[in-house]
Amino acid sequence: MTMTTAHAHTLDIINLNIALPRGQRLLRNVSLQLEPGEVRALVGESGAGKSMIGKAVLGILPHRIKRTEGEILLEGAHLNVMTPATRRNTVAKMSALIPQDPLTALNPVRKIGPQITDPLTRIHGWSHQRALARARELLDRVHIRAPDRVMHSYPHELSGGMRQRILIAAAFAPSPRLIVADEPTTALDVTVQKQILRLIRELQRETGTAVLFVTHDMGVVAKISQKVTVLFAGRVIEDAATRTVFENPAHPYTQALIAATPTPNVSAEPFQPVPAALITELHRETLAADALYAQRGRR
Amino acid sequence: MADVSTNSPRLILTDTNFRLWLPLFWIGLIAAAALFAPLIAPQDPLAQDLMMERLPPFFMEGSAPGYWLGTDSLGRDVLSRIIYGARIALFVSLIAATTTGIFGSALGLIAGYYGGWADRVISRLVDIWMAFPPVLFAVLLVAVMGTGLGSVIAAIALIDWTRFARVIRAETMVQARMDYVDSARIGGARRAATLVSEILPNVMPSIIALLMLEMGIAVIVEAILSFVNLSISSDDPTWGSMIAEGRGAIHFAWWVLLFPLIALFMTVLSFSTLGEGLKQHFDPVLK
Amino acid sequence: MLLKTVFVRLLTTVITLFGVAVVVFVLVRVAPGNPIAMMLPPGATEKDIAALNAVYGFDKSLAEQFIIWLGGVLHGDFGTSITLRQPVAELVLGRLPATLELSSVALLLALALGGCVAVIGARKRGTGTEVGLDLTSGAVLSVPDFLWGLIFVLVFGVLWPVLSISGRVDPRIDIDFTTNFYIFEGLLRGRLDVVGSTLSHMLMPAMSLALPLAAMIAQLLKQNLKEALTQDYTTLARVRGFSETAVILREALRNAALPTLALVGVQFTFLIGGTVIVERLFAFEGLGNMAIDAVINRDLPLIQGIVLLFAALFTVINLLVDLSYTFLNPRLRHG
Repeated sequence: MTMTTAHAHTLDIINLNIALPRGQRLLRNVSLQLEPGEVRALVGESGAGKSMIGKAVLGILPHRIKRTEGEILLEGAHLNVMTPATRRNTVAKMSALIPQDPLTALNPVRKIGPQITDPLTRIHGWSHQRALARARELLDRVHIRAPDRVMHSYPHELSGGMRQRILIAAAFAPSPRLIVADEPTTALDVTVQKQILRLIRELQRETGTAVLFVTHDMGVVAKISQKVTVLFAGRVIEDAATRTVFENPAHPYTQALIAATPTPNVSAEPFQPVPAALITELHRETLAADALYAQRGRR
Repeated sequence: MADVSTNSPRLILTDTNFRLWLPLFWIGLIAAAALFAPLIAPQDPLAQDLMMERLPPFFMEGSAPGYWLGTDSLGRDVLSRIIYGARIALFVSLIAATTTGIFGSALGLIAGYYGGWADRVISRLVDIWMAFPPVLFAVLLVAVMGTGLGSVIAAIALIDWTRFARVIRAETMVQARMDYVDSARIGGARRAATLVSEILPNVMPSIIALLMLEMGIAVIVEAILSFVNLSISSDDPTWGSMIAEGRGAIHFAWWVLLFPLIALFMTVLSFSTLGEGLKQHFDPVLK
Repeated sequence: MLLKTVFVRLLTTVITLFGVAVVVFVLVRVAPGNPIAMMLPPGATEKDIAALNAVYGFDKSLAEQFIIWLGGVLHGDFGTSITLRQPVAELVLGRLPATLELSSVALLLALALGGCVAVIGARKRGTGTEVGLDLTSGAVLSVPDFLWGLIFVLVFGVLWPVLSISGRVDPRIDIDFTTNFYIFEGLLRGRLDVVGSTLSHMLMPAMSLALPLAAMIAQLLKQNLKEALTQDYTTLARVRGFSETAVILREALRNAALPTLALVGVQFTFLIGGTVIVERLFAFEGLGNMAIDAVINRDLPLIQGIVLLFAALFTVINLLVDLSYTFLNPRLRHG
């Protein structure tokens, strides 16, 4: 029996709720859709739940998360009703992850080459030659000189920027339908950040991969995404096209976030933190939503 | 080791029970047997009676009343010999472990605190010592010094002092780097006083944990020595000599091997568990 | 740079061995009991004793005897055994293969058993299975090889006598090999009957030696595996589609193995030391068994030769372990 429904969206998240064992919710009724080839930014402060969404889709939520509700459809496939093995396989074949910290995301005792080609040969069933060729092609594409030498190197012999580019190459290698980029520029310095962002944008356009881009930086949002979802305390505050959000933000929280982002071109402005009153209001709304949710659960 | 305390409450009880109370219970039992041997033992451990040889334990056919765990090839009661054997086992292990502990800890403290050539000499000594296979060395030492209780105790101390020396040296070095020692350190004579009054109490928990472990080891080494007939004179019953005998008679009187083996097993296990438990309890690095 | 380290280690090794030689030499000669007297029939005259003493050089001073012995050693002459009347070197090298085979088989068993338990424990981490395995390995660890040997003797000698509990090989088999490596040469020559008999006789002594080490490996390796499994590269591997077991074996194991191997190397020398009593227990014709006889009989040259060989073995193994650790760790290799 096929678990897929003919669907236009690459990713469909419907009413996703994630809670800790005692019931505190980390994600509150999150819904969003991703069109093929679209880059959507997930933005919010620390703890807003933006990473959790990506992890939920990829199936790598922390073990302490006990309760998950809602539906996740990847290219029409209902991930939440699959067996763990099927789900893992489906996710692996159709999506990829660009992690935050390039240092710890590479196995220190394995050479670079196998780390890229192994999934291609073992999981995607490619031949060794095809995998090697693709690895070289992508390493070249991410502007790594001497790809063969790099493939025979160990992670500790390479720079941080290089490692991140390798991870990007590895993520795009099987031409996935969806990539979750979990704050991939946070661990890098500013000059490298711009290169990485541009690289991701270019590759994404070439392969037609949809990207869920997690970040806390509105500046990054502006540079890379077409759509943006703003999160606060696990709730979706605003969800619209990036241009619209920057020109005419609907929600005061979004306005505050944009205002709080330092813009280098504009003359020195006083630092504007998100107003306390706004935060309080948002918390009130969150609590109210929780109460409603608990009520529905009891019936 | 899995952090059991976050699991079901039942398991917490069992974990502590296994690691603390069960071993203490057994050691208490053995100690009682050793202390009150003349009162508890049903028979004379040395009495030979060839009419009663190789009788099986009470739960088998052909056993005799009063000889609960059977008899050996010379008609001696196994249970009584085990009870008396406990005396030697505990006595030897206590004295040997303490001697080893004092000797090894002293060297470890000196090496760790004074450093320099004292440390180098002692460390080299440890290296040389650890190049010897322990059992062979013990056998050799006893052969050199002649059999007897004193030789056995000295042999154990001489082969295993390195265990204490290494650990205590490392701990002393850690302690010596701490502030309170620097402020107390002025001249040479003062230094010795600091070693005893400040550092020693802080490494004492480790010493005690190692002591428990060492007692288990001492019991084993004594058993091995009496197994190869190099322990105390062959008249007094030791678990090791009973095991040696039992090994030879295994096909017709397996109980002569089994019961002293169980006694030895439980005793060693108890000391080990206590020692390991104490070590983990006092070690700030773990977890 | 690597060469310098090796050279320094070799130097310290030689010094250590020298120290061992001195200690042994002094110890055995301080022993009460005159081996010469034990060798001669009762009624031997003073002259006979003195003559035999001269043959073995016991009439000279301690220092002189040591120099003579040392000189001989550097030529490969370790003296002659008093009890067995053969050159010590021959006797020792003759029994060495048996002990080496026993130790190697024990090590392999320990690695296999400990490795499996560690992987299972890591796979089932957080469950009751892991707790159970931890308790078991803790208990197994507390029981020394001597006791395990006795337990096996009881179980397989009495309760369920499927394996034989003494000897190295079935005495009825005719073995005409060039070396004493029964397993190795047996395999080369296709003599599977020899290999089979040797292995079945070796199983219990090897298991006695292996179990405590296996428990140690199980605990340490599992600990290291669990640490590795919290790292980001394992998360990435899971996303890429590898099952938990595959992640453990392909990604985590390589990282966890290195520190474990360092410990195993050291513990291997203790395992070899354990052969002394385990061989005795199972009447296994190896070096350890011969050593005990030598000590009981005060066979000084033989004792010296065996102890020195053990010490040399230990130091060589330690050296090899250190070198291979440096070689296997990619960071150290290039550093």
